[in-house]
Amino acid sequence: MRVTDLTLGCLVILAGIAIFISAIDFTVIPGQSYGAGTMPRAIAFATVGTGIFLTVKALLAKGRFGLELEEWVFNRGSLLRIGMILALIVFYIAGAPILGFAPTAFLILIVAMLVLGTRPLIAVPVSLVATVAIQQSFGKLLLVPLPRSDFLPFLW
Amino acid sequence: MTILIEAAALVFQPQVILVILASAAFGMFVGAIPGLTATMATALLVPVTFFMDPVPAIASIVTATAMAIFAGDIPGTLLRMPGTPASAAYVQDAYAMTRKGNSEGALGASLVFSAIGGIFGTIVLMTSSPVLADIALKFSSFEYFWLVVMGLSCAVFVSPGSPARGLISLFIGLFAATVGIDNPAGVPRYTFGSIELYAGVQFIPAMIGLFAVSEILRSVLNRTEMPAVQSGGGGIFKQQIANIVKYPFQVVRGSALGTAIGALPGAGADIAAWISYAISKKFSREPEKFGSGHVEGLVESGASNNAAMSGAWIPALVFGIPGDSITAIVIGVLYIKGINPGPMVFINDPQMIYAVFIVFLLANIMMLPLGWLAIKGAGTILSIPQRTLMPIILLFCIVGSFAINNSPFGIVLMLIFGIVGFLMEENDIPIAPAILGLVLGPMLEQNFVTSMIKSQGSFIAFFERPIAAGLGIATLAIWCIPLLLMLVARRGKASDDI
Repeated sequence: MRVTDLTLGCLVILAGIAIFISAIDFTVIPGQSYGAGTMPRAIAFATVGTGIFLTVKALLAKGRFGLELEEWVFNRGSLLRIGMILALIVFYIAGAPILGFAPTAFLILIVAMLVLGTRPLIAVPVSLVATVAIQQSFGKLLLVPLPRSDFLPFLW
Repeated sequence: MTILIEAAALVFQPQVILVILASAAFGMFVGAIPGLTATMATALLVPVTFFMDPVPAIASIVTATAMAIFAGDIPGTLLRMPGTPASAAYVQDAYAMTRKGNSEGALGASLVFSAIGGIFGTIVLMTSSPVLADIALKFSSFEYFWLVVMGLSCAVFVSPGSPARGLISLFIGLFAATVGIDNPAGVPRYTFGSIELYAGVQFIPAMIGLFAVSEILRSVLNRTEMPAVQSGGGGIFKQQIANIVKYPFQVVRGSALGTAIGALPGAGADIAAWISYAISKKFSREPEKFGSGHVEGLVESGASNNAAMSGAWIPALVFGIPGDSITAIVIGVLYIKGINPGPMVFINDPQMIYAVFIVFLLANIMMLPLGWLAIKGAGTILSIPQRTLMPIILLFCIVGSFAINNSPFGIVLMLIFGIVGFLMEENDIPIAPAILGLVLGPMLEQNFVTSMIKSQGSFIAFFERPIAAGLGIATLAIWCIPLLLMLVARRGKASDDI
């Protein structure tokens, strides 16, 4: 999913303007002319400059506005797989505090492996071993407070 | 001498040696999987190093990186699928050697010359760093400002794609670095009322997102299965003595150039390998053989890429300015460990610095037996399908991002930066400048604002001190020379048209 040079240039200009506006109210160091807004404003100016450069270059090359869609955008399988990865991360954030680390991690692994095409006969044991290995190494060995599952006390 | 003995005592401990061995195996594994880079190996390792003492933490990163850069050659040589961007430089020759039935000769060359290059770079690092640190002690905010700007400029100009796209990446990183309360006025910026954002954008989850999650997203889009491995040849080490005798100058040139490119802020092993391969071909007596299974390019660029890895540590340790994205990660780790890289570390923690040097030597020496094992076991590593591996890496990313602050907010950041990284690469916007921007942003802001206050707003003061003036002119030259060359080329083209 690629935006054209002209679109990218305009987006960069807009981003620069947005940064500049957002930095207007930042206070300065008492008694000085510089402060919290100095750096964001400098970034804003440089961003707008880069955007103008890209836009002018694209206009000189007779570029157009728009989005160049690649093959994967029209492929349902690709969209499903990419959506699944993002959804699984969100599922971990929402699900781990309720279900605990081990069940959530196992579900993530098994779903991802099956959707990506691993055979169930391999996906199930690999997911199980990987979940326990990661839980034991991070949760027990490195003492990372991974969310616990009350119904799996033997893991901790 | 006492410092060296104390440093050796820090390194030669069972726990550190064990960490080095485990990291070597990890680096070999990650590097050997096509698409997984040495930077990704480092990013995935950081959450684990968080729980280690400084020396084993750094040792694990150094070892894993060195091994991953070499191991990237394994799938490149056997399957024509370079494991790391550095390996892509000479994959044509390496694979052609495999087709001729000499894969062990090709892998042996990249193993031995990677080790030689790495040791060369380490020796330069050991000898030049203390001298440079002495000079750096005289630096004020003006010199540091220019040094940071120079590093960021190099990152923009040497990154793949156009400099304009490199700049966009840099501004993304610099803008992300402005988030939080740690700024000259000490007021919250872009925190949106979130307490988590008061501390700023956490570097590690952002980096795991930019490198690892974006890579996972890309790999699930293009599901490619690996072809069968063909290996063989006349022994891994046997042919290398003949190569050393035949190409001694190429080895030295590759190592020296790799170290110099690595030391340049913003450049790294990938660029070093490509430039060295091009130079090797340009000055070869047999340039016509390049690309058809000729070992000369492999010898020179193999030495160059690992030498660059050591070279990148020179600006990182001496000035606190990363030479590449891996040292950018390392600087983050050092800060977490309470060690501030820069000239003072040579005075406050000399044992620690010399321990790092010893680890470098050890990693490059250990690469030989471990690399031999990896080459022999390459078939097994390469037979793990990505459809099974990627979900496990995803879980590592999630746990790693959580472990930094034991907060799910790290995972949210990882997700956001993963999507940003994916979109950036889809639009040919390189990721490395964003990482350098994120790391160097606070240093740039602090030195810029301090200098402006000291000079009462006068830009002339940025050129008044001799070293600052030299660095400033060099930085302006980095910006002006490509523009001038572009204008000259355009004028030449216009006059040709007339």
